[in-house]
Amino acid sequence: MESRTRVLLLSLALSVSLSGCSALRWPWFGKHPSADQSADAAAKADEDPNAIEPPRVIDPDVERRKIKVPKIKAKNVEIGGYYGLMSVQDFGTNPVYGLRADYHITEDFFAEATYGQTRLGQSSFEELNPGVSLNLGSGRRLTYYGISLGYNFLPGEAFIGRSLAMNSAFYLLGGFGATRIADEQRLTLNVGAGYRVVPIDWLAINIEFQNRLFESDIFGSNKLTNNMQATIGAAVFF
Amino acid sequence: MGLSISTIHSIRTRRSTNTAVLLGIALIGLLAARLASAAEDLVQVFVAEPFLELHTGPGRGYPVTQVVGRGESVDILYRRTDWFRVRTERGLLGWASLAQMSKTLLADGTPLKIDLGDRAGFADHRFEMGGFLGEFAGANLISAYAAGRLNPNLGVDFGISQFLGNVQNGYMVDIGLEHVVFPDWRLSPILLLGGGLYRVDASLSAQLLDRTDEDAYAGLGFRFYLTRRFFLRAEWKERVIITKRNENEELKEWKVGLAFFF
Repeated sequence: MESRTRVLLLSLALSVSLSGCSALRWPWFGKHPSADQSADAAAKADEDPNAIEPPRVIDPDVERRKIKVPKIKAKNVEIGGYYGLMSVQDFGTNPVYGLRADYHITEDFFAEATYGQTRLGQSSFEELNPGVSLNLGSGRRLTYYGISLGYNFLPGEAFIGRSLAMNSAFYLLGGFGATRIADEQRLTLNVGAGYRVVPIDWLAINIEFQNRLFESDIFGSNKLTNNMQATIGAAVFF
Repeated sequence: MGLSISTIHSIRTRRSTNTAVLLGIALIGLLAARLASAAEDLVQVFVAEPFLELHTGPGRGYPVTQVVGRGESVDILYRRTDWFRVRTERGLLGWASLAQMSKTLLADGTPLKIDLGDRAGFADHRFEMGGFLGEFAGANLISAYAAGRLNPNLGVDFGISQFLGNVQNGYMVDIGLEHVVFPDWRLSPILLLGGGLYRVDASLSAQLLDRTDEDAYAGLGFRFYLTRRFFLRAEWKERVIITKRNENEELKEWKVGLAFFF
């Protein structure tokens, strides 16, 4: 154990020394040196190398205006909630609600994280056998989370009447996460599609359909279950 | 031309108010927070090309409804992905593309510097995030990470993982250092070092109780630039779980995922 700790510490020292402390540029370093270089190149291009520079009689004493450039705000994050119905295989359809956060990476792609929960209804097994209830652990609650990548498949505009035009997009979603059912965690894949409209700059309304696939052995053998959810949600851009 | 522009503008304003009333969703708290931060300094840029096109939405397909001529200025309200919400001198709003905005000038005549999200940005950026799928000690592993970069080589990683196995389930939370060996290369190895907390959930079938231990890891990874802001990332880690028993556990982990930088 001792030797392993030593190896860890040594490799920490190595990794810091490899990068070189001189390379540390605190605080956050400038973003794109290439932009400066291109500006310099442009300035050089303006000067004609063949022109004979006339002797300077007057040294122009003009101070260049120093402009402090404020940072441009980025509003790529969308945070909101949703509500709808979720059909859990063998356990009926029940209301589902959750939270979601999106990050718009490019105009086409976005990343999404969701956390939601629903209740498990009576299974047909329980309905056919009154008085018998399945051992579903602590309560009949199902919770899930997922991280997905979304693709704005059909961006466009939606019109309501003559004077209302809203930006919109039909999008596809796919990702993975976990579902907690009957006190067991299950690896979950999710695929879906949705429609988003942006009625005001900072607000997004979306309707979404998703299938959450996970293996379940509540009824004995392990089987892949399809769990559909349809939701409507609202989110605010930050 | 001037007339038609102002007509469009008046319609758009009314649209917004109507919609706000129609869709008055219970996000008033969020709205109040937004209004509080409304008054801020904006970047003003001048059009240096013959004209700057303003689209109705932040995407290449949205129609251009107006143009701003050379020498006129626009205020940048905010940026969404590679599009800029701008306001003209006449108070009209529109979306301008990154390609055109990067050719505008600031009041002192210098070009506006914009984070382009290209290969140069991949070599030298501030933050990155991603998700992974993989395997940890025979269990399925789901993982997400975020990293802040101190310089092109060195970064600080924060990771959260959940492992789902037949025998045991649990979570890991990590903080560590990463060293990108060749940040300018499209494919570069990464050295990883760090530690965190390792939690195993109670399980009746495996006769396990809840337990949380500290762990340390050393690992090797790769990152490969795909396009725009995306890259692939793969990691292999060896973890030492520092248990309260006499022997520490040594567990292996690998994962592959998609990440993006910003």
